[in-house]
Amino acid sequence: MTAPATLHETIAVALARDLADEEVGYTGLVTGGAAAIFGTSIPVAAMELARLTHAPGLTLLLAGWSHNPDLSQLDALPESEFDARLCDLPAEAQMVAYPDGWSIRRGDISFGFSSAVQVDVVGNINSVCVGDYRRPTVRLVGPILQPEHMTLFGREYVMMPHHERRNFVARVDYVSGVGFPGGRAGRRRLGLDRGGPAWVITPRCIFDFDEDAGRIRVRSIHPGVAPAEVQAATGFDLGDLSRVPVTAAPTRAELDLLRHRVDPRGILLPRPA
Amino acid sequence: MPPLRSKILSLAEAGGRVPDGCRLAIGGFAVYQHPMAFVRELVRQGRRDLTVVGSVNGNDVDLLAGAGCLRRVESSYVGLEKYGLAPNFRRRVERGELEMVDYPELLSFDRFRASQDRLTFWPCDYLGGTDILTYNKDIREFTCPVTGRRLHAVPPADPEITVIHAIAADERGNVVVPPRRLLPQSLDLTMARAARSVIVTVEQIVSREYIRQHARWVELPSYCVSHVVEAPWGAHPCPVLGRYGIDDAHFREYAAAGASPEAFAAYLARYVTGPADHAAYLGLIGPARLESLREAEAQ
Repeated sequence: MTAPATLHETIAVALARDLADEEVGYTGLVTGGAAAIFGTSIPVAAMELARLTHAPGLTLLLAGWSHNPDLSQLDALPESEFDARLCDLPAEAQMVAYPDGWSIRRGDISFGFSSAVQVDVVGNINSVCVGDYRRPTVRLVGPILQPEHMTLFGREYVMMPHHERRNFVARVDYVSGVGFPGGRAGRRRLGLDRGGPAWVITPRCIFDFDEDAGRIRVRSIHPGVAPAEVQAATGFDLGDLSRVPVTAAPTRAELDLLRHRVDPRGILLPRPA
Repeated sequence: MPPLRSKILSLAEAGGRVPDGCRLAIGGFAVYQHPMAFVRELVRQGRRDLTVVGSVNGNDVDLLAGAGCLRRVESSYVGLEKYGLAPNFRRRVERGELEMVDYPELLSFDRFRASQDRLTFWPCDYLGGTDILTYNKDIREFTCPVTGRRLHAVPPADPEITVIHAIAADERGNVVVPPRRLLPQSLDLTMARAARSVIVTVEQIVSREYIRQHARWVELPSYCVSHVVEAPWGAHPCPVLGRYGIDDAHFREYAAAGASPEAFAAYLARYVTGPADHAAYLGLIGPARLESLREAEAQ
């Protein structure tokens, strides 16, 4: 008897179904608890599952540089992006310089994953500061590659390990990655002709965007989560959630692949209790 | 024939070449391969008002911030990766004691490419809508003369001095970077080529004969290097690819010490200003700990 899908498995399968054959997916190596699961483990599991099902030609760029590394040789995910162990893991190619063999600017990356401390109603993301920029309440790490993720990649999946009112705000305190202010037309006026956030994935729901209106909307709510709970944890009005579907459950076959082929030793996703 | 001039300096002499107020680039990336022995020496010498121009910074900037050596930082990231936010950097910025100028990551690399090629700016077409433009007034808008598109001109990094840490060099400053390398080692080379004055600390000084036998590994020829300093374990607690791994326990101790100015002052007294020099620092860390960090396959 197959144990029912966990939340993380449900999200990984939903993501896997959204990835297409021959795409190139870029993920960082995030460490520590929920951030690691959302930022790295779920994206890696989704890409590997997609490769085993409908997207055999998908390229996984782990830590943004190791192409399709052989994860079966690992006892645990590496804890840092430029770990010597990751350097020696069998892979198809390694990006070890800038500039190197592929170009982010030319559009070689189909999709990426990023996480942030704040997301707002138009899909802007923030990893720079909380509060006033000049005298912040919390100074965070900086924009890193977010400006590039949100404009030069084909699309972005924003992975949010926490979904509370402080994370989902009407307006982020600093725009380090641009969403859809003014919709697609608004992005064009800013000189941005491609890319942008596709989904924002949280422990409570999956958001996507009305790209014409330039507004975030709830695409599906995870099993067992009440719509009122999603609204209560969000710092802006989400409208009528009564017709929003439940995030689709994995099939038995998908779950078997995920547990026995993608992650046989349980180094990516916590096992069902 | 007059003898060839050696470029070897002691760590203290090399640190003395960095004046107060200097615009300094520090090699390494996040928590990897920073020239930490050199950074500790700058703290020991009480350097002030430095500007660090970087790309992806970590404990290098955080240590200087905690010791009060910095006026300004230009970077895309200052953090300790799995060890969390950079505690001293964070505190100084939150108190308004340190000016931070934020750049996107690729552009922070491109700024050194611009300096390497002596360009006055690097063009960019993807900054619209970001608060990078709101707060970073060094980036200016212009119209592309070819397409008429609105673009942004990003200023070059233009460090006065670059300091990097490498595996080996000879006394003339031919610097060896083996082919088993990753982005941090490659970016160090761009950073070094961006400055007129380059200080390289190395794990080991090697002979001219060694250099002649490994010429294809020499990525910085001698005329690109001003000074060479022998500093074994010179990146500790950061790792050096091909030599040693990260000192996880020390990083945890560092991150915990950053929680308060008082605890960090104690850290500085114990590990930075207390030891008279780098050798004394290594003695404090201890040979057993250092040996345990050595990469298994390191030659």
